[in-house]
Amino acid sequence: MVPGPILEVHPPNGPPSGEPSTGQQKSQKAMTKAERRELQERQRAAKAAKSAASGVNGKPAGKSKDQAASAGGTPKQKPSRAAEPQAKSVAPAGARAAEKAKAGQASVATDSMAKNQARGLLIFSHFGLPKPVSAAKGDIHPAIARLALQFSAFKITGANARCIATLTAFKTVIQDYVTPPNHTLSRHLMTYLSPQISHLVAARPMSVTMGNAIRQLKLDISGTDFDLPEQDAKDALCRKIDTYIRERIIIADQVIQETAGNKIKDGDVILTYARSSVVEKVLLEAHASGRNFSVIVVDSRPMLEGKRLVAVLSEAGIQCTYLLLPALGSVMSEVSTVLVGAHSIHTNGAVYSRAGTALVAMMAKRHSVPVVVCCETYKFSETIQLDSFTKNELAPVGDLFSSFPNNKPRESLTLENKPNLEILNPLYDLTPPTCITAVVTEVGVIPPNSISSIPVALGRLL
Amino acid sequence: MTPELHTIPGHRAVETLVAKLRRRQVVGSREAALETALVLRQVVSKARFTNIQQLITVIREVGRRLAEAQPKEHSVGNTVRRVLHNVREEYNSATKGSSAASRNVYSISKFVLQGQPRKHTASAAKSETKVTLKENDPDDPDSFARALKPLLMEAIQDVLDELETVYDNVSKNAKDHIHSDEIILTVGHSKTVEAFLKSAGHYRNYTVIVAETAPSYQGHEMARSLSSAGISTFLVPDSSIFAIMSRVNKVILGAHAILANGGLFGISGALLAATAARAHSTPVVVCAGQFKLTPLWNLYHEYGALDFADPSSVLGFEEGPLVERVDVVNPYYDYVSPDLVDVFITNDGDHPPSSVYRLIKETYDDDDHEL
Repeated sequence: MVPGPILEVHPPNGPPSGEPSTGQQKSQKAMTKAERRELQERQRAAKAAKSAASGVNGKPAGKSKDQAASAGGTPKQKPSRAAEPQAKSVAPAGARAAEKAKAGQASVATDSMAKNQARGLLIFSHFGLPKPVSAAKGDIHPAIARLALQFSAFKITGANARCIATLTAFKTVIQDYVTPPNHTLSRHLMTYLSPQISHLVAARPMSVTMGNAIRQLKLDISGTDFDLPEQDAKDALCRKIDTYIRERIIIADQVIQETAGNKIKDGDVILTYARSSVVEKVLLEAHASGRNFSVIVVDSRPMLEGKRLVAVLSEAGIQCTYLLLPALGSVMSEVSTVLVGAHSIHTNGAVYSRAGTALVAMMAKRHSVPVVVCCETYKFSETIQLDSFTKNELAPVGDLFSSFPNNKPRESLTLENKPNLEILNPLYDLTPPTCITAVVTEVGVIPPNSISSIPVALGRLL
Repeated sequence: MTPELHTIPGHRAVETLVAKLRRRQVVGSREAALETALVLRQVVSKARFTNIQQLITVIREVGRRLAEAQPKEHSVGNTVRRVLHNVREEYNSATKGSSAASRNVYSISKFVLQGQPRKHTASAAKSETKVTLKENDPDDPDSFARALKPLLMEAIQDVLDELETVYDNVSKNAKDHIHSDEIILTVGHSKTVEAFLKSAGHYRNYTVIVAETAPSYQGHEMARSLSSAGISTFLVPDSSIFAIMSRVNKVILGAHAILANGGLFGISGALLAATAARAHSTPVVVCAGQFKLTPLWNLYHEYGALDFADPSSVLGFEEGPLVERVDVVNPYYDYVSPDLVDVFITNDGDHPPSSVYRLIKETYDDDDHEL
């Protein structure tokens, strides 16, 4: 079979070009390899000499540090930094020196700027900033490239949806895969899939569901029989992926629908937050089985996913109330149960879910309303997170989800970073186990403290 | 024997203000309080009365009209009560010369503070001249009013001065409350909190995280204003308040009204911040002027002030078929209970929520709780 077409993506910024800071510039390409090596040797020698000199007389180093510490005006830094490499290299500086100068002054400029914002940025530097989908190293299958674009544009959201989309894309990749000669499928397929996975992770940080599914896939791949012909092995793998999706997601959801549906009684007021695919199924199933209840959907920026849930539920005929998160305190006293979904759940029972779930759970606990989390077992994560900073994701700045109301003039809103002002949109947060009453999984309703024993009790790794 | 409004001299100004309040053209509790004080000053200066009871009745009638025009704007009623309290005090000190209000105010504070210098003595000391006031003089009906009016105008001017200097007095000790490298969380756009933070920003380097406060999105203006004053600011959506609370050192909120039990009405979103702060044992500080003290309780429901805003900010008509099938709730204020607040910073000093009842006793008279 013909290998899939190759997709090569170039980074948006072209090859680096040095600023004419020193005046003399020779493009690096113009110099031959020998010239470049010679220049490098000269600079290295000059640097060694300089460091020996500065050990005796620390003035030049101190002087440049002084200039760096003073108010970070870039033009001020330029002559000092430009003077250094000129002092270093005897011969006229080439592009390499210009590059170094630019890097030097850029780093000094960012140093002084960073000093202003160092305080604020440092504490939030754990957050993963959104990276643009760019340089693809190696051959990326078009199905994966398409998926990555869909992820980065937030067209596919939700832990279950992303996992199913990833596994389906991998099925295509596996079917298109051809084992190169002198390699075995079980060893080589994984190395073939690794760059594809990195490409997806570059688009959006991997969800726990994707991680668990890929781990299971790796296990299956390494366990394929050597003697099987290639097509049979690939078919077997695809069947295993199908089984995984069916057993651990689709059927698990059906069991959860029934179990959680039994918790809903006539006349109940159910509160849910944002849009969980599992909770949506539970509510639709409960309504279809004839129970009479109403739903309050709480929603919040940045994603405003609750609107779609309200559309689906009201279409089915369920009485809905819609409100934004700050209005929560006013309605919580009328709620009988809070039903939320999860992105993943940790071994200590803490729930990692859409940002805002923690607030909902906390308010419910204050009003003694039970909080029920609907979560399949494949979402269990073996790590423990202590706060929402350890692992989180920031949505891109700006109005990506069109979540601002139309009757608000755009000038009164701040949609981009300004000096001294930075916009952060974390997408997830961590609900402590004390705020959760019960977790509904396909193996039953369990209290949050017992999450760690479930995989052991089921006799599997995760 | 309540006088008709059109018989009260100066009623035109009152009617103008009533119309403005009803149409919500007066924006902000401090603005409402200032306008109320100015109108009352006009009414008192033009009033004709032969004994103090007539004046009190006139002021109460005017106050009732103003408060009814916009019942959600509590600072209007508070200013009226304040003026009444000051008027009575001036009268008492002018006629009897006693330092404290000699009306039968039975409060624990009176027993506890008996003999200690009270702040009201300052106003009594002003009226050095002991005027002989003759009430209900048949020969010269205006003598009483003439003699008393200068003192009353002073009293109302006190109220106006206090309102004008609210921001400065609240921010006086800002640098003692905020330390370097602290991370402060605030919600909505309160001018008092803004002044407080900017004043501290002159002395300290710290970071402010502003929550957007949907659906009014007042947080955006606050963030812009603070960042242009040189304070490093982060703007986050309300959903991440719990997530970042573990890093926040203090929560500073503004108030729309401070209730008699020490609770407060704040912009919706204040309850989320206060509850999350309590869950993380983070101190909650409320900055408000004393004109926001209201002798009111929130007993029967969780809604704050029963003031609802436009639902199209939550679910607009562009959603089409949803609009007729879905109920939308958009309360403008939140009720924050007193156990969630640690300190009220007012222009008159710092107070814990447990002593708000005493402040109300000192600032207003019992008869005026119901105008």
